[in-house]
Amino acid sequence: MSDSTVEPRQPAPAVAAPTALVELSSVRKVFDDLIAIDGISFQVTDNEFVSIVGPSGCGKSTLLRMLAGLIAPSSGAIRLRGRPLQGPARDVGMVFQSPVLLPWRTALENVLFVAEMRGERRRTYRSRALDLLRLAGLAGFENRMPYELSGGMQQRVAICRALLLNPSIILMDEPFGALDIITRERMGFELQNIWSASRSTVLFVTHSITEAALLSDRILVMSARPGRLVEVVRVDLPRPRERRTLSSPRFVEIAAHVSETIAGGWVE
Amino acid sequence: MARSPARRLGKPIASVIAVLLLWQFGLPHTNIPTYVLPLPTAIAVRLDQTFGALIGNLGVTASTTLLGLALALVIGVLLALAVIFVPAVNAVLVPVLAAFNGIPKIAIAPLFIIWFGLGLESKILLAFLLALFPIFVNALSGLVEIEADVFDLARLAGGTTMRIFLKVRLMNALPFIVDGLKVGFPLALVGSIVGEFIGGNRGIGHLILSGQFNLDTPLVFAALLLISLFTTAGIALISLFEKRFLGWRPSRRQR
Ligand SMILES: Nc1ncnc2c1ncn2[C@@H]1O[C@H](COP(=O)(O)OP(=O)(O)OP(=O)(O)O)[C@@H](O)[C@H]1O
Ligand SMILES: [Mg+2]
Repeated sequence: MSDSTVEPRQPAPAVAAPTALVELSSVRKVFDDLIAIDGISFQVTDNEFVSIVGPSGCGKSTLLRMLAGLIAPSSGAIRLRGRPLQGPARDVGMVFQSPVLLPWRTALENVLFVAEMRGERRRTYRSRALDLLRLAGLAGFENRMPYELSGGMQQRVAICRALLLNPSIILMDEPFGALDIITRERMGFELQNIWSASRSTVLFVTHSITEAALLSDRILVMSARPGRLVEVVRVDLPRPRERRTLSSPRFVEIAAHVSETIAGGWVE
Repeated sequence: MARSPARRLGKPIASVIAVLLLWQFGLPHTNIPTYVLPLPTAIAVRLDQTFGALIGNLGVTASTTLLGLALALVIGVLLALAVIFVPAVNAVLVPVLAAFNGIPKIAIAPLFIIWFGLGLESKILLAFLLALFPIFVNALSGLVEIEADVFDLARLAGGTTMRIFLKVRLMNALPFIVDGLKVGFPLALVGSIVGEFIGGNRGIGHLILSGQFNLDTPLVFAALLLISLFTTAGIALISLFEKRFLGWRPSRRQR
């Protein structure tokens, strides 16, 4: 397990050391007799965009759910800003693989849902919600019901909802999984814009190596079940990343490396 | 494809008129006696003669039906809530209710007359009893059949049980409860009428029974006509509510 990460494990934070935003140490998750996650440690700092890739069933969703505090690790610890995570994390926005919109609410009301759950007045967040919808290219659709929106538009509403309360961490579980390749690419660039404007930290699960390499600062590559961290790939491409980034030699190199790592082929 | 009400109603009205004409002019050529099947005109005449009595008795039946239905709505939803929020209730009540639901409830009607008398109470309670189960079962489904992700989302945002209940569960349950009402309403009517058959001297069921004793078939038909109009109006009212407030339901969406 110790060789499973490229990042050196840091000792307990000393006085002066900045605490990581998210810190996982030797996190394990066992369902009955099935080991889903087998000892994962990593840190995420403020304002980072980190992708998680790995074969289906390797525990990516489980990892995100643990990071959100929705399920507890079987052993190991998760800390947010140095504090052990207990119960559902506040200050976390989540985007699921499907939009999960409430069918009786308009796009705007769906975005405001999280504010209402927090016990805030709608009025307080209304203008921010409208701004986010505009930023996501949904101006004019604020008062449409979910069934009047396309799948991609619904997913953008879900992203706006995750951003509404300005969380410091946004967890995204294959948010573009159900979209066609063109929309998906466009959404990726939109997400990059939203993220760089909001200064939040994103943990992004995806099956697309291209997407991971295009958007991330780092890519966590996981092994097949039981999920372990195989490698952490740093993506040192300049930002903002654009369509032509996709054809830059460095991008191609990184994507190929991630691809081979996932396949279990080791590249020096 | 939005069609005007006139065009939508055109075909059903035409077919009803066709059946009535066939009935009116075809019946004399058969040898069915009029006490078995009276002519539509005879029914119309009887309807006119007894209109006051019919409406008065329909009013009684409508009241017991609607009161029973309202009671079933309140109790059914409260029971569903208890099942969800009180684990002990879930463990004890649900098997009891399931077993109880196995009894044909009409068979309990005579018992209700003994317990609650010949007055309106026994009818209201019978209507309640028949409408209770569909409303309870539907309310329960509506309160629990929600994607787990929605609850996760709500809890991450800091949603309390109460807020989640009001803004997620209850809203989700609304169309289910309306479906329960659609099933429960005709059943409540059955409860009222069966109650009137068994005991008492008021209500449309009582009138039908006296029509039977006197072989006054036109009166029975006139009463049936009014009951079906009442049921149709009730269902239409529920559909109107659905259209106005539950337009997001998959079955209600405009194509
Ligand atoms: N609640 C649960 N109970 C039992 N087993 C579970 C549960 N949740 C997940 N698992 C198991 O844990 C493993 C990891 O599941 P997880 O959903 O995290 O995979 P994933 O990496 O997200 O896969 P995919 O890419 O297909 O979404 C799987 O083998 C799954 O069967
Ligand atoms: Mg998953």
